Amino acid sequence: MNDILNIKYEKHILDNGLEVVLYQDKSIPLVSVNLWYKVGSANELDGKTGFAHLFEHMMFQGSKNVAKEKHFKFIEEAGGNLNGSTSLDRTNYYETLPANSLGLALWLESDRMGFLLEALTQEKLDNQKDVVMNERRQRYDNQPYGLSWEIIFSNLFPKDHPYHWPTIGWMKDIEKFELNDVIDFFKKYYSPNNASLVIGGDIEYSLALDLTKKYFNEIPKGKPFADIFVPSEKLTKVKKIIHKDNVQLSKIYFAWEAAKLYDIDDATLDVLSDILTGSKNGRLFKSLVFEKQIAQDISSFQYSANITGMFIIVATAKPGVDLNELKSEIENVLNEIIENGVTEKEFKRSINTVKASFIYSLQNLNSMVNQINNYNTNLGEPNSFISDLERFQKLNLNSIKDAAKKYLNNSYVELHIVPKEAQ
Amino acid sequence: MKVERSNPPQNNGEIKFHLPKFKRFKLNNGMDVLFLQKNHLPIVKISLQVNCGSKFDPKGKSGLAFLTSHLISEGAGEYNSLQLDEEIELLGTLFDPSTDNDIINLSMITLSDKFERSLELLALIYQSPLFSEEDFQREKQKLLSKIIQNKNEPSYVASSNFDKIILGNSFYENSVLGKTEDVKTFTNNDVINFHKKYFVPNNSQLIVVGNLEKDNLKFLLNKYLYLDTLNDIELVTPTFSVNHSPKFYFIHQENAAQSEIRVGHLSNRRNETDYFSKTLANSILGGQFSSRLNLNLREAKGFTYGIHSAFVYYKDVGYFEISTSVNGKDTGESILEIQKEIAGLKIEVTEEEINFTKSYFTKRFPSMFETNSQIAHNLSTLIRYSLSENYFDNYIERISNCTKSEIEKSIAEHIKADEMIYLIVGDREIVMPQLKKITDLEIIELDVDGKIVNF
Repeated sequence: MNDILNIKYEKHILDNGLEVVLYQDKSIPLVSVNLWYKVGSANELDGKTGFAHLFEHMMFQGSKNVAKEKHFKFIEEAGGNLNGSTSLDRTNYYETLPANSLGLALWLESDRMGFLLEALTQEKLDNQKDVVMNERRQRYDNQPYGLSWEIIFSNLFPKDHPYHWPTIGWMKDIEKFELNDVIDFFKKYYSPNNASLVIGGDIEYSLALDLTKKYFNEIPKGKPFADIFVPSEKLTKVKKIIHKDNVQLSKIYFAWEAAKLYDIDDATLDVLSDILTGSKNGRLFKSLVFEKQIAQDISSFQYSANITGMFIIVATAKPGVDLNELKSEIENVLNEIIENGVTEKEFKRSINTVKASFIYSLQNLNSMVNQINNYNTNLGEPNSFISDLERFQKLNLNSIKDAAKKYLNNSYVELHIVPKEAQ
Repeated sequence: MKVERSNPPQNNGEIKFHLPKFKRFKLNNGMDVLFLQKNHLPIVKISLQVNCGSKFDPKGKSGLAFLTSHLISEGAGEYNSLQLDEEIELLGTLFDPSTDNDIINLSMITLSDKFERSLELLALIYQSPLFSEEDFQREKQKLLSKIIQNKNEPSYVASSNFDKIILGNSFYENSVLGKTEDVKTFTNNDVINFHKKYFVPNNSQLIVVGNLEKDNLKFLLNKYLYLDTLNDIELVTPTFSVNHSPKFYFIHQENAAQSEIRVGHLSNRRNETDYFSKTLANSILGGQFSSRLNLNLREAKGFTYGIHSAFVYYKDVGYFEISTSVNGKDTGESILEIQKEIAGLKIEVTEEEINFTKSYFTKRFPSMFETNSQIAHNLSTLIRYSLSENYFDNYIERISNCTKSEIEKSIAEHIKADEMIYLIVGDREIVMPQLKKITDLEIIELDVDGKIVNF
C-alpha cells in the first residue's frame, strides 16, 4: 500500500523565491495548478479583519492583462473549474483544466500575482465588499447556529490573538475596507517568496518548469515582514456563553485549546475524536444518541492550525432535553477515558479508517495536489503522505489516554445556542 | 526578457481522452449490473440502488422511504446495529445510505482487498435487515426532530416549499423527510412491509466501478446477492398540473438576515431530445459563474453571494428553477433584475455566448470521469433517466451540433415568463413593501409547512 502513497516529484525554487513542485500523474488528461500564499486571517489586525478573505474575491476581479470577469471566463471556456479558500494561516487558489491548458492557468496565476494592482479600482472593491457582506449573511448570519464558530474563537483566544476573529471578518470591518489598506496588504503578502506553487497531473516536467519560469520569473521578490505576534495569555477559567438564535433545537459546544498542526498530539486527538464520535460505536455517540437518546446528534474534531489548535465537541439536544443533561453525560464519558483509556478494538477501528482514508484521498487530482502543497508549505517535503500516516501508526493506547488527560482537563469555552423564546 | 502577456497562451496540442467503457450484465436473480473496470487505484465503489424513493411513500406515510433507508443498516443477519457498524468500520469501508425522490441508494467505497467482505455485508443489509422495534423507535424520534430542525434552515424552507408548489398534487409533492403528522403514525411494520415489497432484484440495480475483473465480480455478486423474490411494482405516473399565470408566494422568517428567492416553473423530462439545447440555454442564463444572472446580480450589483439557474430533473418530471439569496433590502430589485435577464435572453443570445458555453461543456467532459464515484454517478444517470447506452459516446457531438435556432427555440419553449412561480422567504416587514411595489398580483403567504396563512 505504501507504494502508491510514495509519490515522485520535482521541486525547484525560482530566483524570486517561489517554490515550485511538479507531480506527474498521467491517468487522466487533466492538470491541477495550486497556489498557496502564506497569508491568512492570522496576519490581520483587530479592527481590520477580513482582508485575506477579501483577496480571495479581489484576485478574481482581473489584473493588468485580464479584464474584470475574464479570469473565470478563460478557465470556464477551457473546460476547467477553479476556486480559492481562506483559512487562519493561508489562502489557496486552484484550478483544474484539460492538460493542454496549463499555460493558460500559469498566465492567469502569474498575472494576478505580479500585476493585480494595476487593475484594482475603487469600483471593484465596492462591488466585492457588497458580495462579501452577502456571503457573510448567507453563510453565517442567516444560518441556524451560523455564529457559533466566531463566538468560540473570540472567547477562546484573547483580543490580540491572531485567531480571535473569524476568517471572513467582522461585518463592521468589512463595511469599511479602504482601497489603500487593500493595496498595502497585497504588497506585503502576495509575493513569490511568500507562496508555494504545485502543478500536478498529465504534465512533462521540463515543459511545466519552463512555462512556470516564463510567467513567474519576472515577478520581483517581496520584502520581508515581521512575524505574527502571539500573546502568551491562555484561558485560565471556564467561560460559559449563552447565545439566543433562530433555531428550534439547542446545541452545546465545548472548545479546548489543543495541539497545533502536525504536532504528534494533533494525530492523537484526531484518533480520540474518531473514538468519541466517528461512528455509532463512538463513545459519546453510543451513550448520548444511541442509548440515552438525549441528543439528536453529536460530533467532535481536532481543528489544528500553524499557531495552535482546538479540540471541539458539539451536541444537539433532543426537543425538551436540558443542555446541562448533555453536559453531565459528556463529562462522564470524557472522565472515563481520562481515567481508563480506550480499548484495543476502538483504537484499531480508528487506525483502519485513517489508513483507508489516505488511499481514498488519492482519487481526486485537485485535492491531492492541494495536500501536496500543504505538505510542502508546512513540512517542507511534498512527499509526506507516508510520514503523515506514520504519525497515526506510531500511536498506542496510552497516547490516546495521555492526550485526553493533557488537554481535556484544561479550561474551556462552553457555548449554548438556544431558541429565542426559551433559554 | 519581457514576457508577452497581453493575450492568453494557446493550448499545447490536443487532449487524448478515451472514454472508459462499461459492461452490463444480469445476475442469476435477474438484477441488472453496470460495471466499469478501473485499475488506477485499489478502490471499488459499489452503489446498490432500489427504485423506492420518497415518491413511493404510501398515502399518509410521507417519509417512510427515508426512514427505511436509515433503519436498513441498523443491524442485519447475525449482527445488531452496533456490531454491524463495527464490522464495516474495521474494514475501513465507507457506507452511506441515502434517499431521494426516486431511489434509495446504498453506497460503499472500499479498498479492493476488502471488497468481498464489504459486499457480503452490503448483501446482508439489503436482504436481511433486522428492523428491531427498539431501533425503529429511536430512529423515528430522530427523524421527527430533524423535521423540526429544518424549519429554521432558510434555504431548506425555500427549496422544499418550491418543490411543493411546482409539483403539487403529485407523488413528488412531499419532501423526502416527510411530514410530522405522517411520521408520527409510522409503525415498525410499515418499514418491514416497505422493505419486503421494494427491495427485490427486479426493482434494484447495481453499479460497480473499480479494479476488479468482470468474471470474478460476477461470481461474487451471485454468491452473496442470492435473494430471488420478484414483486410486481407499479406506480402510475401522474399528470403534472401546469400553472398558466405568474404567482407570488411568501414565507415569513422573523429577522431573516437575507431573503431566499426561488423562481421557476414546470418543464419537460430529462430524456427529451432537446436536453442539450436546454442545457446550453440555461448555462448562458445562470448555469455557471460567468452567466448573465451571476455577472449582473453578483458582479455588477453586489446583491448576492451567488445566483444560479438550472433545469432540475426527477425521473418523471423536470422543472426550471432560479435560486439565490439576497440582502433583504434588495429583494424587490433582485426580482426585477431576474425578470430583466429572462426578457433579455428571449431577445438575443450571441454566437460568442453559444461558443463559450459549448466550449465549457465539451472541454470539461474528461473531468467528469475522474473518480470512481463520479463514474458511478454517470452510470446511474443512464439508468435513472432511461438514456441510451451510447449517451456518453455521443455527448460531445450532441453539444457541438446544437444550433443557435435550437437554443432559441428551447428558450422560447422552456423558460416562460408568463408561468413563473415566485417564492420569497424573508422578513415580512422588510420584504412585503418591496414586493407590493413590483407586482400587482396577490401575494400568497404560506407558513413554513406550505399551508396558506389567513390573516
